[in-house]
Amino acid sequence: MGSSPKKSEYKATPAEKASAAVAMAEHKYFKEKYDPLLQKERDASMNDDSARVLKSRANADTMQTLAGKASYDRAATAASGGDEAQAYQAQLGQAATTGLDIKNKRKLAVLGAARGQQSDASGFMTSAANMSASRALTKAAAKQTERSAKTAMLGQIGTAVLKQGIKNKLSKGKELGADNDTGEMQYERGSFFKSAGSGGGIGARLNHTGYFNTNPFPD
Amino acid sequence: MSVDVPLTPEQKQAIAASSGGGTGLPDVANPDKAFADITRNEYLDYVKNYRGFEEGVLDTAQSDTSLIDDAKENAANAQGLMSGVANRNASRYGVNLTPAQLQEQERGLTRANSLGYSQTLNDARINQKKINQETVADLINIGQGVNRSSLGQLQGAANSATQRKNAYDSARAASKAQTYSTIGGLGAAAIFALAF
Repeated sequence: MGSSPKKSEYKATPAEKASAAVAMAEHKYFKEKYDPLLQKERDASMNDDSARVLKSRANADTMQTLAGKASYDRAATAASGGDEAQAYQAQLGQAATTGLDIKNKRKLAVLGAARGQQSDASGFMTSAANMSASRALTKAAAKQTERSAKTAMLGQIGTAVLKQGIKNKLSKGKELGADNDTGEMQYERGSFFKSAGSGGGIGARLNHTGYFNTNPFPD
Repeated sequence: MSVDVPLTPEQKQAIAASSGGGTGLPDVANPDKAFADITRNEYLDYVKNYRGFEEGVLDTAQSDTSLIDDAKENAANAQGLMSGVANRNASRYGVNLTPAQLQEQERGLTRANSLGYSQTLNDARINQKKINQETVADLINIGQGVNRSSLGQLQGAANSATQRKNAYDSARAASKAQTYSTIGGLGAAAIFALAF
């Protein structure tokens, strides 16, 4: 009969332990270094002032152009500056559009990264759940095997007892003499629990049967 | 060929820790639990740090009018600004405009500014719509990815549950078979015994 499995034989290998330790260290490092960075970027994206910078530049560009175009002729002919007003508005509008685009893209990048991170975590959660499930299944299967083995063992013992009982009952002992009617020789019969002709206690009886005899050198 | 790379104090500390018997790495006694804890905490971190931000971006993408508001403000500023420029230039060159000229100048500026305002406002509306739509599209894209991942997660959980159920059913069937087989064996032996 084989010995029961030892839990120590199923422990993680050094490679598995190292892999888990390195993964944990990397995760810790990521949380310490990169997570705050992403949160910082989140706050920065909300307060992004690209539009203000671009509008300032557009304003400066427009004014520079206007100052360069200033002349006595234009002043004397009462030029309204309407074209410049239109150019100014268009420039600022363009700057605001570009600024908003930058701000939105920055926000989306943060969100994409955060969601990607969370999505990865969810994926890992599935793996973790699968791991737990397969472990639970293995455990359940092992328990079932144990239960089946116990039932089989009981069955084997019961069958052995019955068989032995039958054998005991069929065993013949001493001659009791011929039957008066039929003339057949009558023998001493065994009972269910005792073979005919066996003496002594239960040990002797079991030994007599051969079922439970584990002696490798029987008589 | 070896290259000497200067080490940071942290790297030196890590090497010192690892050379002293220990590796400086954390001991993960139960990777299964650690794994589950990390994934759960990642989600909670997301809810704490990014959920509000995400809702803000979603809301803004559908209701942002900042470009249009900005265009209106610019038009109002442009009128006064260009009027000032014209006045300063006139003063700089010593030009004295007649009231009629001044009136014409003001009218011309107002007209041009109004046209500019219409143009810029229309552009702003188009650009605002374009940017908002692009943002919504990008958000939907991100959301789709999240949804896909969630469905995959659910599928995994469903598969696990089915596997567990199947394993339970087959184990129960095997157990019953084993029990019946044992009873059968015992019964057969009993019948054999009773027959004699």
